[in-house]
Amino acid sequence: MAGVPGFVHSDFAPVVVAVAERCLRRGYGTQQVPPEVRTGIVLVSASGDLASARHVRATVEAGGRVGPLFFFQSVPNSVAGHIAARWGLRGPVVCLSPTGDPYTDGVAEADLLRDDGDADEVLLILIEQAPDGPTEAVAVLLGGGARP
Amino acid sequence: MVEARVAQLTGVYAVSALGRGADAQLAGVLAGVPAFGPVRRFDTAARRVTVAATVPEVGTLPDELAAAIDEACRAAGLDREGRTGCALLLAVHGGPATGPAPAVLAGQLAARCGLSGHTRVYTSACVSASTAVADAAAQITRGDVERVVVAAGYLVEPDQFALFDAGRALAVDGAVRPFSAGRRGLLLGDGVAAVVLESSSGRRRGGADPVATVAGWGRAGDAFHPCQPEPGGSGLARAVGGALRRAGLTPQAVGYVNANATGTAQSDAAEAAALRRALGGHATEVPVSSTKSVHGHALEASGLLELVVTALALRHGELPVNAGWRGPDEACPLNVITTAPRRTTATHALTLNAAFGGANTALLVGVG
Repeated sequence: MAGVPGFVHSDFAPVVVAVAERCLRRGYGTQQVPPEVRTGIVLVSASGDLASARHVRATVEAGGRVGPLFFFQSVPNSVAGHIAARWGLRGPVVCLSPTGDPYTDGVAEADLLRDDGDADEVLLILIEQAPDGPTEAVAVLLGGGARP
Repeated sequence: MVEARVAQLTGVYAVSALGRGADAQLAGVLAGVPAFGPVRRFDTAARRVTVAATVPEVGTLPDELAAAIDEACRAAGLDREGRTGCALLLAVHGGPATGPAPAVLAGQLAARCGLSGHTRVYTSACVSASTAVADAAAQITRGDVERVVVAAGYLVEPDQFALFDAGRALAVDGAVRPFSAGRRGLLLGDGVAAVVLESSSGRRRGGADPVATVAGWGRAGDAFHPCQPEPGGSGLARAVGGALRRAGLTPQAVGYVNANATGTAQSDAAEAAALRRALGGHATEVPVSSTKSVHGHALEASGLLELVVTALALRHGELPVNAGWRGPDEACPLNVITTAPRRTTATHALTLNAAFGGANTALLVGVG
């Protein structure tokens, strides 16, 4: 899997970008989303970027200094912003830690953003990073603005 | 004719380095004395910056959140029966932490505080709490629910402190100077807050008079960069536009802006550009300050702490000072409140937040 410029150490961002790009390509090819379509991002993850957080915890615990790039990837918003910049997604960016079924939580938030009028469509991303297993993610485009 | 449902703030509570409770927050932001001091909670010897705005003798985050929810419900006149079916929207840092996982924490808080409606946990960095408030207001006005508790908390801890220090985001001169010449960055601060939002049509017998209404809200993205704001402020301007549109107000109706301004060079300039874009000529007239200059940046909780102080200040009729001012910056041509609190008869104020990922929110508060 290709890395993502500016993101290090963890496969959280590369996996998010991989599933998001596959999903957006189905809808928009290689083009950006047209400016009149406001595509929101809802990223749902209980684990967050576990690998990076653990690295930071261990480094701080040992009295060390973390690398500056870890600051920039310290919240899930960052990779959402990377995707938004690449694809021209101008809707809200919302990250959730699921309290129930992650897909149900994510769809409920996406529906709210669309119904409330801040988003025409929503890129929903579910990602979980297991401590000792593979990172798994899925992306789906909900709604559908003015597709080309 | 059926009256439109309005989301009212009927109970508010907050804890920060300014003190405990709503009155302490209002007094603190009007006094305008920054609450930053040496961090004693953990070792900062390896850090470039060693100060933050911390609460002395603070409890654990779950205990502080539970207490804040109880106090906000009490202020709203919400007894145990009234809390039944009430939703809890929680804004906290996501991922692994020393305490319970966010979803577990939400469940525990709901059970402790008797809130039996749905729960949702927002981990959208510095727009977490403000997004939760926007969602709560949307759910109330569209008739999904009668009342929602929004709670948010961040207590300064070693990992985020180390990350902000590593990213050279912290002000090495130990002061937060929003929109000012010579600003050097942000400083972190504790913040735990809870608010009760209720439908205007669902006023309870014995319920408190509302503190304020959440008259409008907007959420929008920059589509620009993983962690830098769009210099023209386009996303934040669209969020402000959304808030005005929902409230049915013109820019001239806005009598105060509690800005996101963190004291960071690029971000403050982008926010000034956003205000010019959204408010037109009124952007240079409306009084502006950033209360982060006194209570620090409470990250995931910042939007709720700042909503509380904005609503209280507007209701009180005095606008908070923007501490740390050294002089104007031509990149931020705004009417910044620099020396003393300013008296106002305004009825509406904006409180703005922005985060990594180009996420922006605007909340429009109304009184009177």
